[in-house]
Amino acid sequence: MTDHALMSWLPPLAPAAPAWLATLQAAARAQVQTQIAAPDAEAWRYTSLNHLLEQGFVPIDETITALQPDDLDEVLIAGLDSRRVVFVNGRYAPELSATEALPPGVHLDSLRELLAHDPDAVRALLPAESATLPLFMALNVAGLDDGLVLRLDRAAILAQPLELIHLSIGLDQPSVAQPHHLIVLGDGAQATLVERYVSLGAAVYCTNAVIEIQLGRDAVLTHERLQTESKNAFHLSGLSLRQGANSRYQSVNLGLGSRWSRTELLTEFCAAHAECDLRGLYLAGDEQRIDYHLDVNHAVPNCTSRETFKGIIYGKGRAVFDGRVVVAKDAQKSDAAMSNQNLLLSPQAEIDTKPQLEINADDVKCSHGTTVGQIEPEKLFYLRSRGISAALARRMLCLGFADEIIHTLHSETLREHLSEQVGQRLESAPWD
Amino acid sequence: MLVVNGLRATVGEKEILQGLNLTVNPGEIHAIMGPNGSGKSTLAHVLSGRDGYTVTGGSATFAGQDLLALEPEQRAHLGLFLAFQYPVELPGVNNTYFLKAALNSIRKARGEAELDAVSFLRFIKEKLKILHLDESLLKRAVNAGFSGGEKKRNEIFQMALLEPKLAILDETDSGLDIDALRVVADGVNALRSPERSMIVVTHYQRLLDYIQPDFVHVLAKGQIIRSGGKELALELETTGYGWIDAEGLAA
Repeated sequence: MTDHALMSWLPPLAPAAPAWLATLQAAARAQVQTQIAAPDAEAWRYTSLNHLLEQGFVPIDETITALQPDDLDEVLIAGLDSRRVVFVNGRYAPELSATEALPPGVHLDSLRELLAHDPDAVRALLPAESATLPLFMALNVAGLDDGLVLRLDRAAILAQPLELIHLSIGLDQPSVAQPHHLIVLGDGAQATLVERYVSLGAAVYCTNAVIEIQLGRDAVLTHERLQTESKNAFHLSGLSLRQGANSRYQSVNLGLGSRWSRTELLTEFCAAHAECDLRGLYLAGDEQRIDYHLDVNHAVPNCTSRETFKGIIYGKGRAVFDGRVVVAKDAQKSDAAMSNQNLLLSPQAEIDTKPQLEINADDVKCSHGTTVGQIEPEKLFYLRSRGISAALARRMLCLGFADEIIHTLHSETLREHLSEQVGQRLESAPWD
Repeated sequence: MLVVNGLRATVGEKEILQGLNLTVNPGEIHAIMGPNGSGKSTLAHVLSGRDGYTVTGGSATFAGQDLLALEPEQRAHLGLFLAFQYPVELPGVNNTYFLKAALNSIRKARGEAELDAVSFLRFIKEKLKILHLDESLLKRAVNAGFSGGEKKRNEIFQMALLEPKLAILDETDSGLDIDALRVVADGVNALRSPERSMIVVTHYQRLLDYIQPDFVHVLAKGQIIRSGGKELALELETTGYGWIDAEGLAA
């Protein structure tokens, strides 16, 4: 049963696929089968797949062309200065995208088109041999179809942020889309990427996205990932990040939407003096579950990583934070600090948090800390004594808690938008 | 304005207020003094509606209403204000947003129009001057990382903004050096008016050099055991609280 449900997410292999791609996909498919046969118990300790598998998701080989640019209005963030790449149900939608006048040295393509016209260019961007991937990332590779390919040449700068919008629309059948994005920044290149997951309507569908990022020496990427899908959506996404020397990656992961979601962030330092800053905020309310799994690999010396995740869980919501930092034997002078703070607003709300440090070197600075708590009565009383209603006071305190993450977003427009989104969700939150 | 009659309150098993009487009329300033543990802060907390106390007897009427039956925010809507002994830090909650939410909540409850952003800022900047506070305060999170003096000034600033009918200052002088104390006292004095009453809770007579009370009460063992004019504070300064015996009665 399990076997059948997940394997049916995969479309038939494209007959025209180049041999190297067929090999890569076959290897990924084999990984999926192995992991289905012998599941990684630790990785799935807190999460059951049943609810996801019951939906009977299937891939739909259909490019949605009926959408007009106006249809996008309800999901756009007014006033956000950005170029835009839109994927509808996993397929590139050029008519909805706005990518005019890219600066020199910035190349933007659809994976599907690049595979058709210049497969060798894609081959150069993919890892030569397939690494062992978590189940759903392997599944995504096995079902490779379309995605964004963004390449920045040496020292190229994409100053205006690029918005990568995953727009999903329900079809007659519960569908799954598996976009696969490749982002490559050459030495000294810089960019800001705002990755968004949004829904039109409230149909049941699944997104299983993977974004592979390679940063060259001295490259700087700001990566903001905003998941605000409808409450019927199923969301899976995986990041695979490889960082060159002195490169800097800073990300904010916001998980507010969807019924069932799981995000895997895999990062690896490939050369010294790189910095990786992963921040996140998740909100899980009634009938929602949100999982974050981090795997941060300090494979080489002198790198710095920060993992700062905060969660607000209310009603019967459930969340999982499973963070792992691994410091290799030779990775001396590694500096890592992981923290996970959670606010539980109701007795039925649940968080499973599991921060882990695996340190194999002896000269490192590593720490982790976890808190799970409620709104402090002292703070609530202070606000109420100033005439503020209990409901508004609670919301203000939650927003204050969330602000540590939200205020790190790159633009004021985004910060305001997300504060508002969090506030709106909390407005309907039951407090007991 | 405020009539407290035979008020009794417990924390857990312990009775802290043991039949307290106090009447405050409009425009009056009452100082409540007493040794540590006499129930000064408990009185301030019970009147403002903090959790953790059980009222076991007596009554408190404020502006004609049964104060003890109201939620803390409803008490604020009626015009009660508590300046905290230990103002609470609210990281991530912007001060301007907080002040605007407080002021507009109170205006709304009173059936007044809420202030828009522009009129609010104009209003707030006027009030900043009274407390000699810098505008940068508005951009910071409420009390987060404030010095002791800044926190107390922020309390009085909130009082200036919310224009209460009755303000309870709970050991506002504690932890302040003499310069900071003067600034806070000047702020309080600037807010004196014939309609506004204050209850100044303090351990030391020092604060009363700067805020002149109309009445001074000595609280011991949960009761007011002596009342008088401001000369009573001076007397306490010389005698201390040693004359109050273990039963809380004047020896």
